Amino acid sequence: MKIVFRFVLAAALVAFGVWLWMVLFPSPEKVIHKRLVALANTVSFSSNQGNLARLAGVPNLGDFFSVNVEVNIDVPGRVQERLMSRQEIVQAALAARSAVGGLTVKFPDINITVAPDKQSATADLTVEINVSNQRDPIVQEMKFTLQKTDGKWLVTHIETVRTLSIFHFEPLRFPSIVLT
Amino acid sequence: MTAQNQTTRTPRLPNWLRIALVGRNPKFTLARIAVLSVTCFVVFGFILLPVRIGEISMLPTYKERSVNFVNRLAYLRHEPQRGDVVAIRLAGIHLMYMKRIIGLPGETVAFVNGRVLINDEALDEPYEKSNCDWNMPPVKLDADEYYVVGDNRSMPTRYHVHGVAKRYRIIGKLFL
Repeated sequence: MKIVFRFVLAAALVAFGVWLWMVLFPSPEKVIHKRLVALANTVSFSSNQGNLARLAGVPNLGDFFSVNVEVNIDVPGRVQERLMSRQEIVQAALAARSAVGGLTVKFPDINITVAPDKQSATADLTVEINVSNQRDPIVQEMKFTLQKTDGKWLVTHIETVRTLSIFHFEPLRFPSIVLT
Repeated sequence: MTAQNQTTRTPRLPNWLRIALVGRNPKFTLARIAVLSVTCFVVFGFILLPVRIGEISMLPTYKERSVNFVNRLAYLRHEPQRGDVVAIRLAGIHLMYMKRIIGLPGETVAFVNGRVLINDEALDEPYEKSNCDWNMPPVKLDADEYYVVGDNRSMPTRYHVHGVAKRYRIIGKLFL
């Protein structure tokens, strides 16, 4: 009985040690995942928020992107947008906040692949965007490329992934407010 | 004194309630709960994925907000067939497209005035009840590609997500 107790205690200590190690030294995948969730939260805003509260998060948005970030968004029938710098992203976010009542962005699935040198990574993710007063959400698969700069993972490139290749697509130019 | 002791030993719960709550043999009840939990975890976590249909692209076959299951073992023994309603994964399985397969690998798919042509022959689609006027030039599918589309084709083609799905994206067939 004493041996069993010691064994259980040792196992518990090892488990605690592993957990502590993972909390103190998280893997790059975990850090990127957390950062992407934070990005989604920063982009989102509620229709109940006042104008000042809405704008408060916008400057922080730039912290998630590299200076020369390139964004190519092409959601058939919904959004088509090309942004070429961090500044353009912030401007688009500001425009969205004044034009749309509320916006909720979620990444329900995030698959992260970190390069062997641990300095760059790609995240294949599903984006779900709910715009207030719009019945159906916008759902799109996207690929984010991230680079580690000064210890921070910054998004350098965003592009849409065509889950289903569509051959007969007439692009619509929607306001650039939906995806920011 | 003895009578008093006996009264104190009387269980707090009535016998019928105790049986209803923990069964005649609590150990067996616990074992049954454990087996049931594991079975539910395996079945609904890996084999029959519960899904809620979020949009209208499969009307009238599947109503919006109805609940269904995706059978992930459906294509273990055979490949997807024409007419199957399948779940197509995006980056993961928390949000998926639900579409009907109309074109199989190697075939040529086209839309002419709303009619689907497979290898230049009209496809009989009893499930398609909308007034479809789509036109699409022929598309040749590769060996691992399927053409998928929803049943509700009343909207313009650009508003309806449809197209070629690679085999690896098809994760299962709708169960109900």
